[in-house]
Amino acid sequence: MAHDTAIAGIYEMKPGRYPDLNPIEMYYQVLSGAIAQWGIKPQDVDGLFTTPAGMAVGAADIATHEKLGETLGIRPIISETLYAGGASFGAMVQRAEAMIRAGLCESILCLGAGKFGKVGTGGAEVLARMASEPNFEFPYGTYIVSNYAMVASAYMAAYNVPREALARVSVSQRRWAVRNPDSIMGPKGELTIEEVLASRPICSPFNMLDCSVPCEGGGAVLVTTAAKARRLAKQPAYVLGFGEAHMHSSISQAESLVDTGAVRTARMAFAQAGLTPADIQVAQLYDAFSATPLILMENVGLCGRGAAPDFVMSGATDPGGSLPTNTGGGLLSFGHTGDASGMSVLIEGLRQCMNEAGNRQIKKADIGLIHVYGGMLAEHATLIVGREP
Amino acid sequence: MKPVPQITQLTRPYWDGAAAGELRVQRCAKCSGRSLYARPWCPFCWAPELTWEKVSGRGDVIACTIVTQAPYESYARDGRYAIAIIKLEEGPQMMANIVNCPLEKVKVGMKVGVVFEKRGDITVPQFAPL
Repeated sequence: MAHDTAIAGIYEMKPGRYPDLNPIEMYYQVLSGAIAQWGIKPQDVDGLFTTPAGMAVGAADIATHEKLGETLGIRPIISETLYAGGASFGAMVQRAEAMIRAGLCESILCLGAGKFGKVGTGGAEVLARMASEPNFEFPYGTYIVSNYAMVASAYMAAYNVPREALARVSVSQRRWAVRNPDSIMGPKGELTIEEVLASRPICSPFNMLDCSVPCEGGGAVLVTTAAKARRLAKQPAYVLGFGEAHMHSSISQAESLVDTGAVRTARMAFAQAGLTPADIQVAQLYDAFSATPLILMENVGLCGRGAAPDFVMSGATDPGGSLPTNTGGGLLSFGHTGDASGMSVLIEGLRQCMNEAGNRQIKKADIGLIHVYGGMLAEHATLIVGREP
Repeated sequence: MKPVPQITQLTRPYWDGAAAGELRVQRCAKCSGRSLYARPWCPFCWAPELTWEKVSGRGDVIACTIVTQAPYESYARDGRYAIAIIKLEEGPQMMANIVNCPLEKVKVGMKVGVVFEKRGDITVPQFAPL
């Protein structure tokens, strides 16, 4: 890949509950922070990508890009509201780079911000309808947790995975969250496998502490030319390889529940980067539930098939381990920022690459891998990022 | 009452089949491929010549979960219940509850057969151990 593009800026608002902000105002909050931190002006941006505001509360606005453009007072050459669930943000970066490389524009602002309905306020049913085929799946009492629990059951059966290995993912990520002052669960301190196993059952094999923590948040990423990125950032992030794949829509129609689209996207990303999994020093693997980082770790090639449980149980993904993973605490412990969850995963990967991760900064983070997915393991994007073009 | 499908012209043969005690899948007249859920064309070759065909109703559980916290009231009344993805002997996959079975016996790899559940005027396929 020609490395004439780079990521010049990242910004993420602190996750939490923002009852005074409506879905579009969540984006304003993100933009206020990003503008202040990056010191950019309206003339610095000629493109805008955003996800639809209000998706996870059942009120998606597909013209979010228009409203944000007007509020920003910009007249971008390219502006779109796009949606691929958690994979949206990988797709945004890829499209931004392709357009900049093609000379269509110079600097594209990529945005995500999410509300998350409070459990017990009918929000679960809204999400359940989104997560299931409405006529052939939803009538069976499905929702997001049950769908991912089924994926976990298939993975566990395929490789005889012990229940403790899933819990150990939550334990590892809490250790990272304790080091992240912005994380939701960090203040609660470290976790044990026993605590995860003793937490309230939701959908077998998942207990409450196997599930990500619903919250609200959002972030922004500025993609621009490499030359401009070097002026704006001490350490830009370069996308060395990218892969994207769109699979099924309904989980029951997945061609495999164990070998997901991540197998394809990682193969594409490594081929483009001219690198192998052995080159990866830090990983961010989208973790709506404790089982998914195990599956993804194997799918992208960071572990052999069936080897992720032992790998995680050994402490390899923990602080100080050989492959620091989900270093901000992940969606399990940093928080699942509603529609912006994929942005949170992407930004932590970029933060490590750009040397902006504070006291959890990995020293050897020259090459990182980020995998985000959307829907019911339906849409996938893998990015390999580096500090040198 | 538990949720029921909205039946359209496209999906009616599937639900009519269930009401008649048959599990049906789509079959392509050109490539013989079998598929679910209802489509206007074959997903393997895009031929529009699809017919609905009765299948054995037997399959394997390839994924399952026991739900303790239900997403909505009509299922919460059941207490704990099982959902599974079933791979039919004929190939297509579908979702259903596993019924007439102690929950602790529901496992990936179990052999199941279709049974039918009435919900008002509509009949939905379910699966039980064979």
